[in-house]
Amino acid sequence: MTRKAATRKATSLMWANEGLLDRLLIGIDGEDVGMVDNLEFSDATPASGAASGAAEPELTALLCGPLAFGPRLGGRIGTWWTAIGRRLRPDGDPAPNRIPIQLVRRISHRGVELAVPATELPNRRVFDWARSRVVDKIPGSGA
Amino acid sequence: MKKFLQLGLGVVTAVGGFVDIGNLVTSGITGARFGASLTWAIIIGTIGMTVYAEMAGRVSAVGGRTVFHAVRERLGVRTALVNMIASGLLNLLTLAAELGGVALVLQLVTGVNYLIWVPIVAAVMWLAIWRLPFTWLENLFGVLGLALIVFVVALFKLPTDWHGLWQQTWHPRVPNGEGHPTYFFYAVSLFGACLVPYQVVFFSSGGREEKWSPGSVTEMRMNSLIGFPLGGLLSIAIMFAAVPVLQPRGVDVAHLGQVALPVTQALGVTGLAIALLGFFAATFAAGAECALSTGYLISQYFGWPWGKMHRPAAAPQFHLVCLAAVIAATGFILTTIDPVTVTLVSVVLGAAAVPLTYFPVLIVANDRDYMGDRVNRRLSNTLGTLFLVVMLVTSLATLPLLFITKAGL
Repeated sequence: MTRKAATRKATSLMWANEGLLDRLLIGIDGEDVGMVDNLEFSDATPASGAASGAAEPELTALLCGPLAFGPRLGGRIGTWWTAIGRRLRPDGDPAPNRIPIQLVRRISHRGVELAVPATELPNRRVFDWARSRVVDKIPGSGA
Repeated sequence: MKKFLQLGLGVVTAVGGFVDIGNLVTSGITGARFGASLTWAIIIGTIGMTVYAEMAGRVSAVGGRTVFHAVRERLGVRTALVNMIASGLLNLLTLAAELGGVALVLQLVTGVNYLIWVPIVAAVMWLAIWRLPFTWLENLFGVLGLALIVFVVALFKLPTDWHGLWQQTWHPRVPNGEGHPTYFFYAVSLFGACLVPYQVVFFSSGGREEKWSPGSVTEMRMNSLIGFPLGGLLSIAIMFAAVPVLQPRGVDVAHLGQVALPVTQALGVTGLAIALLGFFAATFAAGAECALSTGYLISQYFGWPWGKMHRPAAAPQFHLVCLAAVIAATGFILTTIDPVTVTLVSVVLGAAAVPLTYFPVLIVANDRDYMGDRVNRRLSNTLGTLFLVVMLVTSLATLPLLFITKAGL
């Protein structure tokens, strides 16, 4: 067993870089759905005037698509990537595609396995575009 | 019996898949110019290819990781992105060279200029990618590629000086009148022709296409450990055949047709026809594999559904990339740039880019979490690390050699 795996087993902790980031998202139908490009946590800073103390930050969603990927790249290329991603959105919404953590069935050595099929996820625009504009127009696409 | 046939077919396919335009051109040129004094470069390249193909195949069958999933996981987004772009561009260059190769063969057969053939070949190649089932694409052309064995037959018909070849192989020295930079430039080109990055991407993704599981490791090993070395032997045969025919006349191989001259001299028109069939099959298959590899690596980096196990409508981005790759490569070769030059440059740049693809494979093959008891043993690691060092040195030497020798002139 590798040292990292031993640490993880002993404490039942998991590191973002080791099990989540840049892992394959797999739909319940076994299809590749995308990559985990970024992570979303709940805001841990207490709202001013909140009655209770600070809440623990919690992993709320896995993010994917250009708007999640651009910031990971950083620098000028990352900014461009994000900007292109934003222009590709029909509503100009700057929030990246979210896959709520409740949809994660399990995290295995294959990748992040989801409890829903690919068709029910929000990150299908490039797929749909490539399919409806190009692939489906060619005979024999099996559509 | 069926199992046995299947294993045989896999090996044959690996032999045919190993030889492509890069091997044909570099073996022909070096045989005519340097005799057998560069055989060592093919031997080292073939061993490296075999070791890493076995590793990539194992990572694919057992760990469920294809090469570019591993690249993204292990190198981080930024390095992996640079890697993806570099490998993708290199694939385009190689694809252009293969397209040019197929077209040149058709020119030799019909007399019609290769530029006329390029768009036709590209369209047929894309159609094959679009419609032919994966195993057909792989096996049909792999078997036809075996026609290249005609070079081995030719070797026995020609006045081959076996003793001299043996001497030059094991006691290589730079021939008189050739500079050291040129000699090593061609060594790099032979090395790069054996180790082209698209082959290992294709081998690992092809494993997923054929639904390899941990139980397929034996089959995969047969393919890589027997098939690829036999492919290396074919490359050596092409080189050796050039020695008694082309070297004495000082022929400077600048055209694919010249590579087939030794076969024509030994076996006449029939031999030539068989050799050209082999050229056609090897370059056409390699072109299709190259286009598919481009689709594989980009799709895998972004986590898109990929592969011919899907209907095109279920993997639209993948098919869009394959189509775009064929179009871009066709456009490039139609600029009337010399296909043989494109081949040389692509194998040499390939040699420089090889560590990018091979390093992550070595890392994942050592990960016990994924690989279980199929993790790398000492032999694979020693050879793998050794080759990585050789590849890094080659990689660093490549660009200076390319500029000093002006691409081997």
